[in-house]
Amino acid sequence: MKKVTLLMAMLLLGLQVLLAQTREITGTVTSGEDGMPIPGVSVIVKGTTLGSVTDMDGRYRLQVPVDAQNLVFSFVGMATQEIAIAGRSNISVVMQPQAIGVDEVVVTALGIRREKREVTYQTQKVGGEELNIIAPTRAASALAGKVAGLQINVQDNGVNPSTQILLRGLRSISGDNSALIVIDGSIASQGAFDALNPNDIADISVLKGATAAALYGSSAGNGALIVTTKAGKSGQKFTVGLNAAFTMEKVAYMPDFQTEYGTGWEGAYDNVENTNWGPRFDGTLRQIGPTFPEGYGLETQMVPYAPVKDNLLHFYNTGQTFNNTVYLSGSSENSNFYVSIGDQRADGIVPDDTYQRNTFRVNASKRMGKVELSASTSFFTDKSDVVGGTIGDQDRPLYWFVLNTPANIPLSTYKDWDNPLSYGYANNYYNAYYQNPYWAIGTNRNIDESNRLVGNFNLSYDILDWLNFTARAGINNVWGNGKNWRAFQDYDHDLQPSHSAVSSFVEDSEFQTKTYTGDALLSGNFKFMTDFTLKSILGATVYATDYRGSTIRANNLSIPGFYDISNGTGNLVGTVDESVKRFYGFFGDFTLGFRNYLFLNFSGRNDWTSTLAEGNNSYFYPAVGLSFVVTDAIQALKDNPILSYAKVTLSNSTVYNDLAPYRINETYSQHVSFPFGTVNGFFLSPTAVDANITKEKINTTEVGLNLGFLQSRIWIDASYFNTITSDLITFTTPSITSASTSFLTNIGELQGKGLEITLGGNLIKAKDFKWDINVNYTSNETIVNEIYEGLDEVAVTTTGQVGVYAVVGQAFPQMKANVYQRDPQGRIVVDAASGHPVTETGLFSLGKTTPDYIVGLNSAVSYKGFTVSATMDYRTGHVYYEQGSDAMEFTGRSMASVSANRQDFVIPNSVIETSPGVFVENKNIPVAGGRQSYWTDVYNDVKSNYVKDATALKLRELAVSYELPAMLVRKTPLSKVSLGFIGRNLLTWLPADNRFSDPEFNNTNSNAIGIGGYFQSPPTKSLGFSLNVEF
Amino acid sequence: MKNILKYAFLLLATVLMASCEEFLDVNDDPNNPVTVSPDLVLPTAQVYTANVLHQNRYFNNLGNMMMYNWSQSDGFAWYPDEFKYNVTSSFYQQLFNYSYSNTLKMYQILDQLESPYDNYKAIAKVMKAYHFQLLVDCYGDIPYSEALLRSQEATPKYDDAKGIYENLILQLDTAILLIKNAQNAVVPGLDDAIFKGNMNNWVKFANTVKLRILVRQSSMAGRDAYLKAEFAKIASEGSGYITADVGVNPGYVQQENKQSPLWNTFGKDVGGTNTMNNNATCATDYILTFLQEMSDPRIDRLYEKPSTGHLGVPQGLLDYDTPVVDAYMPEKVSNIGPGILKGPNMPAIVYTLAESFLNQAEARQRGLITTGDDAKTLYQKGIQASFTTLGAGDATAYYSQVKNLAGWDASSNKIQAIITQKWIAVNGMSAEQSWFDYSRTGYPAGLPISLQATTSNRPVRLFYPAGEYSSNGANVPAQPNAFTEKIFWGK
Repeated sequence: MKKVTLLMAMLLLGLQVLLAQTREITGTVTSGEDGMPIPGVSVIVKGTTLGSVTDMDGRYRLQVPVDAQNLVFSFVGMATQEIAIAGRSNISVVMQPQAIGVDEVVVTALGIRREKREVTYQTQKVGGEELNIIAPTRAASALAGKVAGLQINVQDNGVNPSTQILLRGLRSISGDNSALIVIDGSIASQGAFDALNPNDIADISVLKGATAAALYGSSAGNGALIVTTKAGKSGQKFTVGLNAAFTMEKVAYMPDFQTEYGTGWEGAYDNVENTNWGPRFDGTLRQIGPTFPEGYGLETQMVPYAPVKDNLLHFYNTGQTFNNTVYLSGSSENSNFYVSIGDQRADGIVPDDTYQRNTFRVNASKRMGKVELSASTSFFTDKSDVVGGTIGDQDRPLYWFVLNTPANIPLSTYKDWDNPLSYGYANNYYNAYYQNPYWAIGTNRNIDESNRLVGNFNLSYDILDWLNFTARAGINNVWGNGKNWRAFQDYDHDLQPSHSAVSSFVEDSEFQTKTYTGDALLSGNFKFMTDFTLKSILGATVYATDYRGSTIRANNLSIPGFYDISNGTGNLVGTVDESVKRFYGFFGDFTLGFRNYLFLNFSGRNDWTSTLAEGNNSYFYPAVGLSFVVTDAIQALKDNPILSYAKVTLSNSTVYNDLAPYRINETYSQHVSFPFGTVNGFFLSPTAVDANITKEKINTTEVGLNLGFLQSRIWIDASYFNTITSDLITFTTPSITSASTSFLTNIGELQGKGLEITLGGNLIKAKDFKWDINVNYTSNETIVNEIYEGLDEVAVTTTGQVGVYAVVGQAFPQMKANVYQRDPQGRIVVDAASGHPVTETGLFSLGKTTPDYIVGLNSAVSYKGFTVSATMDYRTGHVYYEQGSDAMEFTGRSMASVSANRQDFVIPNSVIETSPGVFVENKNIPVAGGRQSYWTDVYNDVKSNYVKDATALKLRELAVSYELPAMLVRKTPLSKVSLGFIGRNLLTWLPADNRFSDPEFNNTNSNAIGIGGYFQSPPTKSLGFSLNVEF
Repeated sequence: MKNILKYAFLLLATVLMASCEEFLDVNDDPNNPVTVSPDLVLPTAQVYTANVLHQNRYFNNLGNMMMYNWSQSDGFAWYPDEFKYNVTSSFYQQLFNYSYSNTLKMYQILDQLESPYDNYKAIAKVMKAYHFQLLVDCYGDIPYSEALLRSQEATPKYDDAKGIYENLILQLDTAILLIKNAQNAVVPGLDDAIFKGNMNNWVKFANTVKLRILVRQSSMAGRDAYLKAEFAKIASEGSGYITADVGVNPGYVQQENKQSPLWNTFGKDVGGTNTMNNNATCATDYILTFLQEMSDPRIDRLYEKPSTGHLGVPQGLLDYDTPVVDAYMPEKVSNIGPGILKGPNMPAIVYTLAESFLNQAEARQRGLITTGDDAKTLYQKGIQASFTTLGAGDATAYYSQVKNLAGWDASSNKIQAIITQKWIAVNGMSAEQSWFDYSRTGYPAGLPISLQATTSNRPVRLFYPAGEYSSNGANVPAQPNAFTEKIFWGK
């Protein structure tokens, strides 16, 4: 007891026991590969915290206690060496490159560090440098194509884009399938991940399956990204650095549109139409827009009746992004720090869209004897000012107004929208139905600000050599506000008889989310019976998150241009939404090792959650795994010149997905029309809830193989998994006659299977020339095994004509749409009178919306200081509902609409059903309304016409960088200078029939994957420069 | 020392465990109540009644399109499916869906109440009968006995249409008894957006709903005995029928989400601007000519009169610009008139007094009712009620004309005259009623069909929604032909 008290006192006072008697040792460290000195090698006296680092010439100097026994030399990518001092005062060392994958340290769940050989499941690490090659503004987008099993969907390309992060496909129909994000040991969120300055990331460890993340309990089901931010490297001198990048963003491609016909309706020219059903272009000068009265000051607008080349493309600007980070880092014997300030400013491709963000980070740690304290803290603030999303009297997105511009309209000449004597002015604009998009930009704004404060505090105490106690506390607070407004617009009835006035509003919103996490871990490492090791951890964890959001809206503003709630007429409309979720858990993790080649891992965690009723809210999450390093176990395989490393893993785990807060009860809400005076009215939620609702269960089995060849210059990581999700928390679709539109219950089963292979290699590794390549292959498929008897599908989202579904026996998510009726030979059945295709009753499955497989390719070639690196990925086997081309069929700008010259035509390869089951080839019955109404009313009603092959090959990243030679740099105050040319999404190949938008774009970050292309701007590519300087 | 530690640990453990339970006790929804009182349910249910009748593309809208009352101005492609009679599993499926998932859902909550909420329960029964009849009239067999049970029955069976009709009468009997026997029962007040808690009016309305149900079956062979017996029960109950138009009005006002639904859809938005529907929708040529030939002063109340005079558009016109370019622009055609669109505060019509009289007239003419006013008087009262509702003044001159289908005595076929007058009376208000009458009787005679129709007649029923085939496939019947298979009362 006394001893402990003394120890505690020492810790609290931060005392260190310093030994007085020392002597000096010096030496040089060189590389066994090329004989060159290695700077930055860490030299530490074993069993102490005393150490030093080699200088630019590989030399070190170190004071050691007289009783010191051994020195430990370590350096990234080199095998660590332990050398006995044996009374010497000069010790020089030749370090050998380390076989990759053998003794790499992996950060696993709850910040536990393990040697890769011990790990019984598959993980993959992406280093900060690899992540930052192209100076991304969001780390998530830079992960695309780099990790097997990981699918990154960049869902739009606004100035503040959102990204979906899926590991190993989907496991839940209604639940969240996005990977858990852990930053510096604490459970974070995708928002916190996006708020990170990518330059601050040291590395990201991808725990691909539920087993890897099982210690996270109910958050573990979707795997995890374990993000570690930078620290001052041990032994590093004080460094000041600058990362600067400038990129320009342009529209990569616009939809493929016809350019043969212009403004009009039913074949006749119409000067105020947004549609392209007019006559064929003839180049004559024609009126567009209203006829102005005498003396109006503006001549009637006349333009050639001919397509304006790229008229929509020229609406968009070249976007610009400046992304600068200044960082300071350093370390001393017992402490290190990293400080950074980031500044990003972007102008989007949409005129006037701007975004600005700043990030601040302070990471520091200090070791005091047996105690190490560390903190990683960051503050983030951003502001976006973009065009509003509910434009005009129909509440449309901006892209709608751009797309509703016929081929003969010189769109980019309408910029001067607020000048009453310009053609862009509301009353003068050519389009009688949809407004000038430049007007939209000036009269609809959406301004959002957010702030995030993250702090992670870690205390580690080495109680004994083999026993450590770690406690961790994390806070993650995000808050912000927004203002969204729309200006009033009315119209001169003579000039614009068809336009309805646009009402005005202003909406103010505020939100705050506070998340607190805490962990305590006691870990002990034991050795026994010479051959056995046991690494054990006992721990507890707690999590609490608290959200509050509110909006208040005023309509029909009195004073133009004054956007304050007080300016509204009629009642203010407001909402407040609050939610709290909490859980705590206890866990244990035990890894039994045998001769350092065979490891058996058991882990278990019990969680108690706030979202379920008391007595029904406790869940146990077990996991078991085995790792076997074959090459170390079998004598004959040791030191094999070809196969240098082989490891097999096998694991199984069960985790449960939690329910969202407040889901267990059916509730009432105030109806939007109420109150009327003193009378209030509530409605019962359309969702009926199963009284016995509980968590959904995910069981995962995984087999993995890691092979290294030729001293691990070439390696293969492979894994196969089988996941079964049962008791799915599912919103089933009951008959609407039950008075509910959805029923929340536990039913059904999903089964996911997948294969991941990573093939990597240092193909060439000469002194000046290096070529690294990494190919990763991901294939996974989730099949709906069952829902419940009598129900064979559940809609995730549907319009009744097209939607995303879970269908028994089919892959999930499945796209379904209405389709043409076809005869047994696959020919389209048409109506004998109208020539119109006959459609089948109900919707048909058209394919899944996640890829069959993804192939990612990363390669870097360097010669002396030059490096060229590229990342590509190819996704195929999935479909996409091209919502934009569906919406645009009406306007007659689709390629399909000109495929038959705007005439009645016989549908090729069509048949007529003369009597039931008898089909006769249709040779002479043309479709009625081929000039227009067939396309707008018949063709447009068959939504399978817009479900397209989503295959895409993208050159996501291309970078050419040059690092100035050290010889040159040394003559300046600088220590490092590197310059780069960077490109993102420079090339995209899509199938010929899907040239509308980017099949990665999605309307929501949910399981309704595969619907988009209308709310987003067109896809973009960017080009730029980067500079990294260190002092 | 050891003991102190032990007790300290125990204490700590106890505190921890206790606080853990509290720690997790945060699952009471702060945003939404789990239960609410009946006075907060009834007004919502009635607002849903108004919405399902009068919002964009609901019952009234459908009736006006089917019955050639409304057409489309130039510059709009607003009614493509209506003009093609494109009856599919998505065509007007919202009638079915909204009725069950909103309107009936809320009345079902009230229907399950016990004493002292007998009055609420009775109102719920009356309104359920009203809405179930509308559904039967559009779809035939529908879920009824197993419907509205939420999580207890996800796949309700379909019941026979005629059986439902008969049960609705029994439910209305129960409702009347509940009201009459309600002692110490809570009486609704302003939360009743139809009668403001006047329970006697609810009894009258129950009888008037019965009237609609019974008259609808009056063309059926062999049904007379049943109908006569039921009319006798109404007579002996003694409260009679409604004495004024029945409508929902919770206090509609020119504010966002608070305007009367028909006005909000076809009139002006809260900013006072014509809605797109207003511009897009106008009279047909046929109905204007019909009203003009009948010297009907209601024409200027049913349809707006442009400065250039009344102009209608044939349903399904494809070429709006021949012979005169822009002849049918919204400002030149007769849009929906001021007698229908009275303002943002107008009640949402549920049942007009005119329809009640004309229904009585038909029952009297057919000999199902044998006492009270004669058929001619009821007919003329019906026309006057229509004039009054529309603001067209005194109807005497109109119904005194010696003109077939206007004057009673001048009309060769009295039933035809009654149904034709009902077609005008419910125009723009409960137009779906005249569509059911048309399927049943074929009146008004000579009504044109849309130019875009591919069939020789208008539909007689709607298709079950696609959702029923996917979510209730085992129960939903094979879809009867929408143009030939009439609802049971039309056979």
